[in-house]
Amino acid sequence: MRIAWRGAELRLLLPIFLLVPLGFAITNVALTGVFDGGPLHLAIGYVALLVGAHLLLVVLGHRGDQLILPAVGAMGGIGMIMLNRLPQDLAGTSAFGIELGMAATQLLWFGVGMIAMLVIAVGLRDDGILRHYKYSWAAAGILLLGATLLLGYEVNGARLWIDLGPVSVQPGEFLKIVLVIFIAGYLAETRTLLTSARLRIGFLSIPPLPYFLPMLALFAVVMLIVVRLNDLGTALLFFGTFLTMLFVATGRRSYVLIGLILFVVGFTVAYQFFGHVQTRVDIWLDPFADPLGAGFQPVRALYALGRGGIFGEGLGQGLVTLGGGLTIPYVHTDFIFTAVAEELGLLGAFALLGFAAVLVFRGLRIAALARDDFSGLLAVGLTASLGLQTLIIIGGNTKLIPLTGITLPFVSYGGSSVLASFIMIGLLLAISHKSAIGADVDAGS
Amino acid sequence: MTGDILRILLLVLQLGFVALLYLVLMRFAGSLLKDLRSAEQAQLASRSGIGRLSVLESPADEPPSGTTIALGPINSIGRNVNNTIYVEDDFVSTNHAMLTFRGRSWFVEDQGSTNGTYVNGHRIDRPVALSFGDELTIGRVRMRLDR
Repeated sequence: MRIAWRGAELRLLLPIFLLVPLGFAITNVALTGVFDGGPLHLAIGYVALLVGAHLLLVVLGHRGDQLILPAVGAMGGIGMIMLNRLPQDLAGTSAFGIELGMAATQLLWFGVGMIAMLVIAVGLRDDGILRHYKYSWAAAGILLLGATLLLGYEVNGARLWIDLGPVSVQPGEFLKIVLVIFIAGYLAETRTLLTSARLRIGFLSIPPLPYFLPMLALFAVVMLIVVRLNDLGTALLFFGTFLTMLFVATGRRSYVLIGLILFVVGFTVAYQFFGHVQTRVDIWLDPFADPLGAGFQPVRALYALGRGGIFGEGLGQGLVTLGGGLTIPYVHTDFIFTAVAEELGLLGAFALLGFAAVLVFRGLRIAALARDDFSGLLAVGLTASLGLQTLIIIGGNTKLIPLTGITLPFVSYGGSSVLASFIMIGLLLAISHKSAIGADVDAGS
Repeated sequence: MTGDILRILLLVLQLGFVALLYLVLMRFAGSLLKDLRSAEQAQLASRSGIGRLSVLESPADEPPSGTTIALGPINSIGRNVNNTIYVEDDFVSTNHAMLTFRGRSWFVEDQGSTNGTYVNGHRIDRPVALSFGDELTIGRVRMRLDR
């Protein structure tokens, strides 16, 4: 293993090393009126994690994409600054006799996530275990869902959590990854069949059923259970990711059209029969109809966005608590984007979107440079999933689409979300490393 | 009075923070642009063909394992030296298989070989479409179709 200098990565990380402590310092001064350090050690801990990840990639000779880690670092940095600014008793852990506040717990999860990312990015030399065992992965996914269905407990009407002693996990976050691996494996194998032979019904061309059935069946199971779990955000995310991968694999617009028709039909049915869906849509259409009840959260979020304006209220100067409670319930998970927009304004919110866009751009580039269909489709799926998740929750925060409770990757508080997102980044890095090595072999021969 | 100073200080710091945020973003944009340009040049330099075979395993070392074979649109594979891809292996037939690029995808067809042609470990009995990354086994020689 040779050392591979990652100059571009370091150059992009350097200002972030300054950015995060500065944000913590501003928050500290704004909240206390003086600079007494405050929880600055958390900012330094965060910087140390990024330095460690960068150095390990260099030492282990990783040749993967150099823009992904800084983009993640910037998003996570903004997240850490915001989580440190919010009341620390919103969440946290108290395992092994140590009490950790919300920001400290998040930092801990970032550490765990980065280790997972490095292990996958460096350790995944052969994607055979992902590719050849796709049905095992599908089975694992169904098992995960089944476990949630049986053992899960409800938070806010959605049954998403499993209690595992000291930590609670959200299996849906990991199901996302498993599903993308399965779909990538399946499509890589049947891609040509799906594109060549087909049935025509009117202007729609339908894929040959035998090749398509396993996929459709798995997806129906997933959708059914997701609807049973009342987790609309995840359902939307799965569906969007699936359609994107299908389109990239086959290049057929009619498949996307069929997907959209299915979506509209499914949504209409869900709207008719599930009160949960109806409530969400009604709140979205007119949150001010019941501003103190159902519409409380979105109304407060809209006010916060308004207070933020273009330049923001300033870090530590937003209206986070009101009358002893949070101004916006779940501001640390579902509504973290609103908190960023309130304190950093439109400018800060745009910057955050910019980092997410860089991540998506690089993900698609990795897909385009991939050496084989499976790696390419996997990269597309992972990127689509991260990108769509960002769009869905930000759209929900800003009342562009009905609100669905999912996390903003790398920014929201949440162990499962952070860990799952880092696993996805690890996979992207592993794919791009493989392409870089492959390109070298070609140049040599 | 101290309150005013504090407010101004915070404002300056805040502006500095946002400026730094955009500096990071500008650097990202710079890196992206640089990368796009070099990628464009690299692509122009090596407008490679429609595909190639990477030899993963070859007991008799013909073709040598670890090498890649550039592919034309029609490739015959077999133990006869007149084949496009000549394979020296006791388990390979004289005219073993045909690897062709038709339309937008690759197809492989067995030419009535004794030991058969395998795609990803499954023996084929008719022309089969290949995806990039698929493994082709002919006799004891394992090859992978790459872009």
